[in-house]
Amino acid sequence: IARVIHTHHFNAVCESGLRYSERRSFLYFARNQYERRGSDVTMQCGSLESDASVSWKVNGTDIEAQHQLNGPKLILTQVDLDHNGLYSCFQNPHGERRDTIFLHIGIPPQEPKVTCRSNTYPKGFYCSWHLTHPTYIPSSFEVDVQHNQHSLYVQKDPVHKNRCHVQFPEVFSSSPYKVNVTAVNALGKASATLSFEESAIVKPDPPERVTASPIRLNPRRLEVSWHSPATWPDIDTFPLKYFLRYRPLIHDKWQHVELLDSTSHTITDAYAGKEYIIQIAAKDTEIGTWSDWSVAVHATPWIEDPLPITTTTEVDFPNETKTSPIPSSKAPQKAEPPVGRAARVVTFFSPLLLGMMLLFMW
Amino acid sequence: MDPSHNLASERSSIESTYELTKYLEYQLKEIKDVYLTYLGPPFNEKDFSPPRPNSTALTLPSAATRLELWHGLENQARLAQNQRAYSILLAAVRELARSTLCPSLKTSLLHFCTGLDGLLGSISALMNSLGYSSPAQAAAGELQFPQRGTGSNRPAPLMSQSLKVEGFWILRELQSWLWRSAKDFNRLKKRLRASSLTRHRYY
Repeated sequence: IARVIHTHHFNAVCESGLRYSERRSFLYFARNQYERRGSDVTMQCGSLESDASVSWKVNGTDIEAQHQLNGPKLILTQVDLDHNGLYSCFQNPHGERRDTIFLHIGIPPQEPKVTCRSNTYPKGFYCSWHLTHPTYIPSSFEVDVQHNQHSLYVQKDPVHKNRCHVQFPEVFSSSPYKVNVTAVNALGKASATLSFEESAIVKPDPPERVTASPIRLNPRRLEVSWHSPATWPDIDTFPLKYFLRYRPLIHDKWQHVELLDSTSHTITDAYAGKEYIIQIAAKDTEIGTWSDWSVAVHATPWIEDPLPITTTTEVDFPNETKTSPIPSSKAPQKAEPPVGRAARVVTFFSPLLLGMMLLFMW
Repeated sequence: MDPSHNLASERSSIESTYELTKYLEYQLKEIKDVYLTYLGPPFNEKDFSPPRPNSTALTLPSAATRLELWHGLENQARLAQNQRAYSILLAAVRELARSTLCPSLKTSLLHFCTGLDGLLGSISALMNSLGYSSPAQAAAGELQFPQRGTGSNRPAPLMSQSLKVEGFWILRELQSWLWRSAKDFNRLKKRLRASSLTRHRYY
């Protein structure tokens, strides 16, 4: 494979101090040579006769690695990655450059690891792959997708390198899809086949725009709402069901709720005054697997406002505010958290006031 | 008759039919595992899928369809397709049960057939309440699933490979239909709700 190589050379001129000049040299048609790690490599200097005498350089310097010369050939034994470089040969005695070889040491590819998923059901699915071991040289991939003895059209992903997209030719199919990915490089190739049914690979993206808010005058409730993932194309015909999990920040154990056909839920058993962490996952109502958990949202149930103290008490008012959970939502709530023990001081009139407020609410 | 009352009963009828398909889907998963073990290798191997038989003796109704076609199905056509499919599949599973020699598997398959029969009845009742005619009950010829040959009453190791493949695909297609039906009934429910809203505007 021909390549144009652009190199910079900096020349330091001695004697009268240091002077640097930049010299660009274009090396046309330096050919690539790919060799297997651990093997013995022979490099041929152009098309010179077998009795020609040449000298070699690698990256402009003498070759330090163990090597043998045999006429126009350079032999390197048990090559490794440090043998990589630009090798040039010069014909003796005048030193004309006769050839330039870019040596790349690598290994043939092993079977790639392939996964496929549909987060846009029933539109289509995508497959991703990767090599589990590096090959150290460029590898390309060929993808073939079969269904009902037909080859499906495969579209490369514009952004992700090792990903491609396929449209479902039909829905509710009983026949499996067979995806074959072949990794190819200059030293060899290796294939992997993944076989699956349409229903098995469906996994939506997590729900979006999750919000959780306290509900005024309800110290044990939190109102949670969310949206189906934007990538799911037809929420009406292919509805999703949801799984909500929540726990106070200080506890380890989650509580779960499964919801069908609803994008909101009221938690009614929250611990008063505790900050909660909430997440949602989604799944097609019939097939596939649950999505990953959504981004976590935090919320604290509504806390009753402390009323001003109208009678003197024996309670000492601390100077600093005791830290207490601050609700993170935009619900209307007093910005200042209750002040220490003052929060527990309830005057004689406040239950009446509360009762009156509740009456007005209803 | 009060139209809103009719609609409510139709919706609950669709809902219970939907629940029935979910139940049968779950039941089938269990039976299928046992049946594939009964057939032996390679049928009981993970991800094994034999080529689909295209013989005229076995014309299984395919649940697979182009998305736009499925989307645009009118309510009557949607239900009729389901009805036809289960009529054929019920006969096929009955035949499968008949030719199965393992007694417990035979019992499971026959029990499953009663469930399938129930589903058929549910679909027919729904079609009647919506005012759609039910053609499938008439054609006895179509319902008659061809006998799988005199040699089919054999223990699995002696069954021919083609008979095993047939058995595999009957259950496989039935699985797809139950999955599809769930989506069909959900779609039907939504369409009826939408049409009832427009209907009520005139009352």
